[in-house]
Amino acid sequence: MMDFDQLFVTRNWVGKPVRRNEDVRFVKGEGRYVDDLAMDCAQVAILRSIFAHARVKRIDVSRAAAMKGVLAVVTGPEVAGQTKPIAPRAITKPATQFVMASEKVRYVGEPIAAVVAEDRYLAEDALDLIDVDYEPLPAVVRIEDALRADAPLLFDEAASNVLLDDTLEHGDIKRAYQEADLVIKEKFHVHRYSSTPLENWAMIARHDKASDSFVVWANDQQPGRSVVNVCNTLQIPTNRFRLIVPDSGGGFGIKLAIWPYMVILCLLAKKVNKPVKWIQTRREHLLGGTHAPDCQVELELPMKKDGTILGLSMKDYENDGSFVHTAGIYGLIKFATLVGCYNIKATRAQMLSIATNKGPTVQNRGVGKPTMIFVLERAMDIAAKQLGLDPAEIRFRNFVQPEQMPYTTPSGEIYESGNYPECLRKALALSHYEELKKQQAEMRKQGRYLGIGISAGIEPGTSNLGYYYTSRGIPEYTGNAEGAIVGIDYDGNANVIVGSVDTGQGHATTIAQVVSDMLGISPERVSVDNQLDSLISPFLGHSGAYSNKFNDVDLGAVIRATEKIRNKMLTIAAHALQSDVADLKLNNGTIYSAKDNSKKVSFREIAALAYKKILYLPEGLEPGLKEIAYYKNPMAKLPNKENFNVQLTHSNSVHVVAVEVDVETGEIAFRKYVIVHDCGNQVNPAIVDGMTIGSTVHGIGGVLLEEFVYDEDGQLLTTTFMDYMKPVAAGLPQFELGHMYSPCPYTLLGTKSAGEGGAIGSLAAVANAVEDALSPFGVKVTSLPLSPEKVVRAIRETKVI
Amino acid sequence: MHRIKVTINGKEYEQEVEPRLLLVHFIREKARLTGTHVGCDTGNCGACTILFNGKLIKSCLTLAVQANHAQITTIEGLAANGLHPVQDAFLEKFGLQCGYCTPGMILNACYLLQSNPQPSEAEIREALEGNLCMCTGYQHIIDAIRYAAERMKQSGTVQL
Ligand code: FES
Ligand code: FES
Repeated sequence: MMDFDQLFVTRNWVGKPVRRNEDVRFVKGEGRYVDDLAMDCAQVAILRSIFAHARVKRIDVSRAAAMKGVLAVVTGPEVAGQTKPIAPRAITKPATQFVMASEKVRYVGEPIAAVVAEDRYLAEDALDLIDVDYEPLPAVVRIEDALRADAPLLFDEAASNVLLDDTLEHGDIKRAYQEADLVIKEKFHVHRYSSTPLENWAMIARHDKASDSFVVWANDQQPGRSVVNVCNTLQIPTNRFRLIVPDSGGGFGIKLAIWPYMVILCLLAKKVNKPVKWIQTRREHLLGGTHAPDCQVELELPMKKDGTILGLSMKDYENDGSFVHTAGIYGLIKFATLVGCYNIKATRAQMLSIATNKGPTVQNRGVGKPTMIFVLERAMDIAAKQLGLDPAEIRFRNFVQPEQMPYTTPSGEIYESGNYPECLRKALALSHYEELKKQQAEMRKQGRYLGIGISAGIEPGTSNLGYYYTSRGIPEYTGNAEGAIVGIDYDGNANVIVGSVDTGQGHATTIAQVVSDMLGISPERVSVDNQLDSLISPFLGHSGAYSNKFNDVDLGAVIRATEKIRNKMLTIAAHALQSDVADLKLNNGTIYSAKDNSKKVSFREIAALAYKKILYLPEGLEPGLKEIAYYKNPMAKLPNKENFNVQLTHSNSVHVVAVEVDVETGEIAFRKYVIVHDCGNQVNPAIVDGMTIGSTVHGIGGVLLEEFVYDEDGQLLTTTFMDYMKPVAAGLPQFELGHMYSPCPYTLLGTKSAGEGGAIGSLAAVANAVEDALSPFGVKVTSLPLSPEKVVRAIRETKVI
Repeated sequence: MHRIKVTINGKEYEQEVEPRLLLVHFIREKARLTGTHVGCDTGNCGACTILFNGKLIKSCLTLAVQANHAQITTIEGLAANGLHPVQDAFLEKFGLQCGYCTPGMILNACYLLQSNPQPSEAEIREALEGNLCMCTGYQHIIDAIRYAAERMKQSGTVQL
């Protein structure tokens, strides 16, 4: 962390809830989302498989192609002939899949053909005229079906539906078992859900004949990787592809891998002499727009009678569906939180990525971390119950202590800072935990069932991108970094371009706050261009908005570029004022001499020297005022199975929840929701609060309502927001937030991840509260979601959810 | 094809349209007012919320031909210049993140405050039933609506 006295010349903006300047256009309806761009486009509609698993024997597009208003049609076999297969990231078995299905379809909703027409209505009509002969194959839907010896294979070349199976051991796990008084064992199941951004995927592709190059506008979340993937898949050099990302209506990871559709659109754009646009429908989004995988986790905690956990052993089966690009990631990322907030010295983790005929999976908010904290925090409660300890007490007995910071977990993850016991103490105090317990006892006498749940979680951020290659060998990407350009214009105002994108996190305002305090100007004088352009923006393979990296490397790059520009302005000012740089100070858009404050020069005058009167610049100094910087997190380790770090900052939180369960209807109502959150220093606390709450609601949706339900043939039954239910305002609690600020020593501002956290801690907190409420009925919670019908059935018959 | 005449934000649009054209597409593509969004097209998300003859409706569930002779207000028509107090309240209380739900949320809030100028938290939550926000968890939206109600009471603003 930097010395703030050196870094900032004023302290007017950083740390304050500064209004978001990007919001003005959004509240006026003047956002610039992809579908809003004023371009005359032909429209694309995509034909999707109606079977979960089938051979495609024939596709006949002749009737569609002949339809009036149709400009072009493309089919899977044609696409496969012109592209390379999708590159896998984590799986170790061979599995060939193209961006459009050619010989075989592997999920309901997989693209098999696409039509471009004059408008979307006509394009949809044309889809009805495409004839496909399918030869249906038995569908593999559940994990146990996929693992059967005689299971049909998704990928023949893999010779198994298990595409990754790896076991990593750290510390002396054998000894942990030998020394244990007891072993807590449980098998958990977490369903499929997704954060479903409100804006579906959207893109426009234009082909320029003369240069044979493409421009794509898309609401992509990770443009750095998309550029690489699209160019590789289309087999074109990078200089033939330009990606522009305008405003984006939410991401949450679900827009990290939209690039396969860019490939399809580029092929279509080349066929017609016009930009082509594809706006995904909600049904398409729910069918094939990526989910978090469902999974089964077998967890064991060897422990002492006093509640001390000696080790953790886990077998993690991820139903990764049928998207080879990201399959396997959910297991491996769990190392970021494998031991949670606890001093667990030995771990063994087996990770399996299972291919099935369910839809694609990609990094949904928190990736595997919500599940990891769910199973661990559930197991903590199960252990507490078995040992007769209060759930808070068993956590206190196992926390990593503040004096152990920075703390390295058995696999090599580094927890930079934090005070986990204090965080829990604060959360207990804020929730009036003891009061709640009294209230619970009172209510039980009246036949009402209040439950209290605690969850303590690590909320990691900034992916060290090589991690998923620990099982694959040499990584294509390692570490994490971002780029920024900071300039001063003719008027002496600052402008900033970053390599990442914004999907609603208020990056422009946050950046403006930092730059303002570094230059001594107000945020109105700092314009931040949110639109990413791969041709212009400072760009890396890591560029994008994911894994909460913004507060770390994105701001790091902005700070480094601002330092450069500040130094250059000081050099010019020193020359102009005939002073020493050491004597100069910045204030309100001017640089003055601390020795003689009649000697001063405004940013505007400095800009005039740099841009126009260049002969008056100091000898040898380049004209212009624009600086570029890239910044990488310094803590990333090289991938190495013995010692690696998956993520590079680690926030933490405690959620304390009280729910009342109606034991007749199974309805769950919130009575209290407290979050105490420590993400180090905060640049804009109001933005952080908003993300903490929003993220928590993603978790709550996942625990209580949302589920992608497949039937045994692999048909998705939840294809609208009528059946795939999202949380609405009514029914959610009023969240009470508490904060701690343990600065991260390894980021420039002491900031850590903010954004995914709530989605991580909430699953277990709510589940623990529900189990606690139902303890008079002896109900145990080992799976999600906690739908009313499952709750009622557990109370009446099964005793287990 | 049908010829329709629709007034949107005080401006008249006269066009030939197909009977199956959705009103939301008419607003976005024919009138080029892109503040009205599409989040689902099944009436569940509220991103396409508009005021139709003074009533709150979802324009993805309405055909353009049904809007013949209608008076429509979209987010762009809320404040001729500057910001409506509800818009300002969303800024002040951080009532948005990605902004995609925001036009629908703001129109819904305006409609609510017209009939119930001092709603309780529960009433606001109830009123927002048909509008999904995937980013905020609603809390800051509710704060914004309460703040707007307070401000509008002080300044005596009632109309849209
Ligand atoms: S787009 Fe109309 S309700 Fe969702
Ligand atoms: S602000 Fe993104 S959907 Fe509401």
